[in-house]
Amino acid sequence: MFENYSQLIFHPVTRKVGSMSLPTKSVAGLLILFASTLTLPAAAQDTQSTTIGGYGEIHYTNATGPDSPGEVNVARFVVYLAHSFSDRLAMRSELEVEDTKVEGGEPGGEIGLEQLYLDYRFSPAVTLRGGLLLPPIGIINETHEPPTFNGVNRPAYDHDVIPTTWRDIGVGVLGTIPGNSGLNYRVYLVNGLKASGFSADEGIRGGRQEGKEASFANPSLTGRLEWVRPGLTLGGSFWYGGSAAQDPALGTGAFDNAVTLLSADARYETGPFAFRGEVATIGIADADQIDAAYGNGVAHRITGGYLEASANLLAGLAPNSSQKLLAFARHERFNTQGDLPGGATGDPVLSRRITTVGLTYLPTFNVAIKGDYTFNRNRSDTAQPDVFALGLGYAF
Amino acid sequence: MRINQGRRILVAPLFLLALVAARSAGAQKAPPARLAASIHRIFGSGASFDSVAVDSLHVLRVTQGDSLLGFAEVSNVKGKDQPITFLVAIDPSDHLKDVDVLVYREPYGGQVAYEQWRRQFRGLTAADSVRVGHPIRSISGATISVHAVTSGVRRVLAQLTDRHRRGLLQ
Repeated sequence: MFENYSQLIFHPVTRKVGSMSLPTKSVAGLLILFASTLTLPAAAQDTQSTTIGGYGEIHYTNATGPDSPGEVNVARFVVYLAHSFSDRLAMRSELEVEDTKVEGGEPGGEIGLEQLYLDYRFSPAVTLRGGLLLPPIGIINETHEPPTFNGVNRPAYDHDVIPTTWRDIGVGVLGTIPGNSGLNYRVYLVNGLKASGFSADEGIRGGRQEGKEASFANPSLTGRLEWVRPGLTLGGSFWYGGSAAQDPALGTGAFDNAVTLLSADARYETGPFAFRGEVATIGIADADQIDAAYGNGVAHRITGGYLEASANLLAGLAPNSSQKLLAFARHERFNTQGDLPGGATGDPVLSRRITTVGLTYLPTFNVAIKGDYTFNRNRSDTAQPDVFALGLGYAF
Repeated sequence: MRINQGRRILVAPLFLLALVAARSAGAQKAPPARLAASIHRIFGSGASFDSVAVDSLHVLRVTQGDSLLGFAEVSNVKGKDQPITFLVAIDPSDHLKDVDVLVYREPYGGQVAYEQWRRQFRGLTAADSVRVGHPIRSISGATISVHAVTSGVRRVLAQLTDRHRRGLLQ
């Protein structure tokens, strides 16, 4: 496809400029060069544009049964703001309000930057990126707009195993591998996790620093490779980085108390049917040190995954409609206390078995009306309440 | 006049700035060489083309010698935040010959340029359904671009077919 891409990159004016060799350039040549930059902004201005977008989701959740009222909440309201300074240089951002508002002394509520970065595109194969980034791990962390997933809430796995929406400050490179390879990649160097926030029930979630005056003691490497065909997307992601955050009890090295994450995911659509699945394993080799320092019950290993199948019920009734009514079922299994230090047995409550069934109605591909029922089970005898939920979501 | 070392330090960023500015110019149009390469890929290396202005459109009429090979039009749709410049080509019987993505500018969704996705459009006519799901399969992770390009192709295919049938592309 992009066999002639160099022709896309170099406009005639660029070729002329590029043909002068820098070391022998005269001041006169420089003046011409400088003049050309002065005349160019007029041309470049046509390419400037600002885009506003966003997504949101409103939830009704009832975990207490039909005899008592449920809870309603504007779970997320996110404004997407992007500006293209030129055909190649762009700023992209997402600003989020969770739970409608933030009030002093009240639980819940958050105003946060979810993303804020600059992209410079050299070619389809290479875009440089710097800022507050989303580690490209699994399906949901990067693609989390409500119409893109079934269920009112994101999978619980994407809360307790993969801590979505995971974001941190860093730099990286991304692109598609040229030709029709179907491969695309992202590799980022970002700020690391902080072990003091790890927990028994939510794994590494509390260790995210999210770019808020964060300690930059443990730069971490994260990336993803994705292979795409119409109807099929396969991906693999990783994270590697220390989490000691200069705490003398743990260590001062950049990769001390390393966290290693590997995940694989697949999405497949054929006719009215769609399937997706994801697995991940997180290794914390020095969990014993972390537990000794903070007593937070962190395990050496956190593992889990889910499988989901859906069918478009409108495919048979109205094959030419762009609307969809998806019936889906999802089964999740994950354990945030897989392998405790010293051979201790993990809390069976934390070995979860969650099944969600429900409907997603998409009047258009970017609006979703959802209803589902979640059976929360685990390996203990302690029953967790089942949850009935309704939701509205959109993205544009 | 030779530039001394001190000045050269200043010159380097200026040169880079100039390069960036120059490379940034001229969006939303396909570079002529890219357009020609696309026409030759779709219609064969012997094809030549000229532009026919009809209504507000610039339709490319593709010929080889005396024989008409078909028509093509370049258009833009908006992706998430940038235009996607694409080309739709039809044969003289108004069947879609091929779609090409001439310039893709966003960091995500570039999979719409893959041949495996674009070839789904071949052979369709303005009377057919040209919609995501039937018969165009979507791509997970490129949903916005898939919907944008599909609706753009549907619009351009209808425009080309209409102008051709009304005899405006002579």
